[in-house]
Amino acid sequence: MTLLQIAFLIISAVTILAALGVVVGRNILRNALALILAFLGVAALYLLLEATFLAAVQVLIYVGAIAVLILFAIMLTERLMKQERATNEQWWVVLVASALLAAILIFLVGAVEWQVTPTEIGGDPIANLGRALLTTYVLPFEVASLLLLMALVGAIIIAREREEA
Amino acid sequence: MPGFENLPLLSPEITLTIFALLVLGLDLAFKRLKDALAYVAIGGLILAIMLTAHLFGTQGSLFSGMLVVDSFALYFKIIACLTTGLVILSSIAFMKEKTPYRGEFYGLLLLATLAITLLVGASDLVMIYLSFEFVSLTCYVLVGYLRGDPKSSEAGIKYFLYGAVTSAVMLYGMSLIYGITGSTQLTVIADNFLSPSSPVASTRWLILPAVLFILAGFGFKIALVPFHQWAPDAYEGAPTPIAAFLSVGPKAAGFAVLIRVLLTALPAYQIDWIALLSGISLVSMTFGNLVAIQQTNIKRMLAYSSIAQVGYILLGVVAAGPGTVGIMGVLLFILAYLFTNLGAFVAVVAFSYATGSDEIADYAGLLRRAPLLAAALVVFFMSLAGMPPTAGFLGKLFVFGAVIQMGQKVFYFLAVAGVLNSVISLYYYFNVVRLMFFLPAKDETSLQIPRSLVVAVAITMAMTLVMGFYPQPFIDLATRSVVTVAMLSPQ
Amino acid sequence: MIPLSWYLTVAAILFSLGLYGALARRNAIAILMGIELMLNAVNINLVAFWRYITPQEFIGQVFAIFVITVAAAEAAIGLALILAIYRHRQTINVEEIDLMKW
Repeated sequence: MTLLQIAFLIISAVTILAALGVVVGRNILRNALALILAFLGVAALYLLLEATFLAAVQVLIYVGAIAVLILFAIMLTERLMKQERATNEQWWVVLVASALLAAILIFLVGAVEWQVTPTEIGGDPIANLGRALLTTYVLPFEVASLLLLMALVGAIIIAREREEA
Repeated sequence: MPGFENLPLLSPEITLTIFALLVLGLDLAFKRLKDALAYVAIGGLILAIMLTAHLFGTQGSLFSGMLVVDSFALYFKIIACLTTGLVILSSIAFMKEKTPYRGEFYGLLLLATLAITLLVGASDLVMIYLSFEFVSLTCYVLVGYLRGDPKSSEAGIKYFLYGAVTSAVMLYGMSLIYGITGSTQLTVIADNFLSPSSPVASTRWLILPAVLFILAGFGFKIALVPFHQWAPDAYEGAPTPIAAFLSVGPKAAGFAVLIRVLLTALPAYQIDWIALLSGISLVSMTFGNLVAIQQTNIKRMLAYSSIAQVGYILLGVVAAGPGTVGIMGVLLFILAYLFTNLGAFVAVVAFSYATGSDEIADYAGLLRRAPLLAAALVVFFMSLAGMPPTAGFLGKLFVFGAVIQMGQKVFYFLAVAGVLNSVISLYYYFNVVRLMFFLPAKDETSLQIPRSLVVAVAITMAMTLVMGFYPQPFIDLATRSVVTVAMLSPQ
Repeated sequence: MIPLSWYLTVAAILFSLGLYGALARRNAIAILMGIELMLNAVNINLVAFWRYITPQEFIGQVFAIFVITVAAAEAAIGLALILAIYRHRQTINVEEIDLMKW
């Protein structure tokens, strides 16, 4: 087993345990903190995959923006933090179904002969990524900007304090 | 730069973008414009429809295969613009009482239309995902738009949570397809699945869940059983014009992308998806109709009825595999459904604007309170039930006909089930008619209906009847739109 | 080198955990966190497929960037809706959000 593989196993174990901490337990604040750890674990996996830019984006957007947004929302609705039951009545059905799904998916992705091309990444990956975004993917890129504008306007309208009648 | 020489092909999308930004900008700059902006938006939609009609017949692939422009997509673009135009027309009076943010409302509706026009032409999984989410996210906002109304917020959050989960599932399926085929282009994916030498064979068992995951996402968008649970709540709680929009616009887009993915990327698995969709179609129409009977709120009734309608449309998709008649049936059915269902919802908007109620019981004696509205509702219900001489009859004729043409016993059975379901649906549609015509009203005062709503009802009613009486031009249009999608499938 | 299937296995586990969270939890914010886990699982898939299957073309990475963008927009809108419902009902427990039948 190489050093890289050991690093992978440690990072994955931390990520999965953190994800478990997100979905289990009554304290929603702890769930959110575990979520941050899971996000960081995923960023580390990106680094192992040599997707350095994506690792940075993951930290900036998921940890820096989304997790903070979630923490804010928890604080604003905090009366709920000590709720008696965290899950609904069908939770065990969902648990069995999810476990089954995980088992099937793990078996299938392991059984498939993936067409792996063992090549190095050509050129400067960040420059190439930028070029891809602004040539091949320029249309989705522009559409994404409109989507963000829409989300901005929409979120403000919905979340703003009620206007005086 | 690739693709820019084809930019004129995107003129409808560009027009919609400009007008959406214009409406949002004007609203920001001039506080008093608000309701005039509705007409600016309608102007933009009319321009977009004209540009789309002008493009009809052209064909092209843009931006390195992100988007295709063909008559099939253009047909759906016209449907999207027509829907939004009628929805805006029916919103003007309704929203005036409900929210001060009307300029943004029209701007967001235009952006939703833009998202639909992108989705119906998307031919790459990246583009499909992005425009799919664009449609969904805009719809979540529009459903939860009325902050003062707890039902609207509740509808928004339910729609959101349901949609976000299904779209994550869909995305997981897309990631697997990308891994299996090494591409996100629908045509390349199809080649991979079709070629006998492709190494895809060992991945067969992974393709099944991947495709099912993707279909779950599409199923959510068109409110198919078993992904329909959000629909009644979202329709009931949403501002009624938005319920009307949801029942037609995003649904038509969902069908367009479903058909494109099935025909372009998955012809190799035709037998499998025909079997799957046949079953879902049967369950959708039967379930929708049986539950619709029990409803007391007219918006919920229409929600379940549109789940049933989706089942009928899916019959056309089933028949789309082997021949083009199926797609033609789908196209005709969706156009008929646009005018009919939108019309029914607009009539409900008018009634709820004048009385403040959505309860079916309050429709009693409507004939004496608003004779024109009652007459229009009769036309819409006849069309929804598929009776001649209305648009709905035309749609059902082609869809059922296409299924029968497939020539196997199973498909005869499906067509018969469709007809039987139409008979069941007569029961609850005509229950409302009975109330309107034969029962006394609690309050005999005649209803005051604003002019914009009268216009919207008149247009939809006229078109429902015109499609029934003079179907030929619409059949021609649908025929021309089918040809290209057939060419697009396996190359 | 680390086998591709290892990454895919981690993604499958994260996805299933997220799905469990999204379907079993009662708190709307907890459901949203489950959804975020599912999206992260998808991104691991996309980036791993990029590195192992199409390292010369940046399809997977670009796709992942769009997923992150959409996730940010989705979180903003979702949390806005959650705050709106909290203002009305003083709860974000989806079982108590029941003016209409589910």
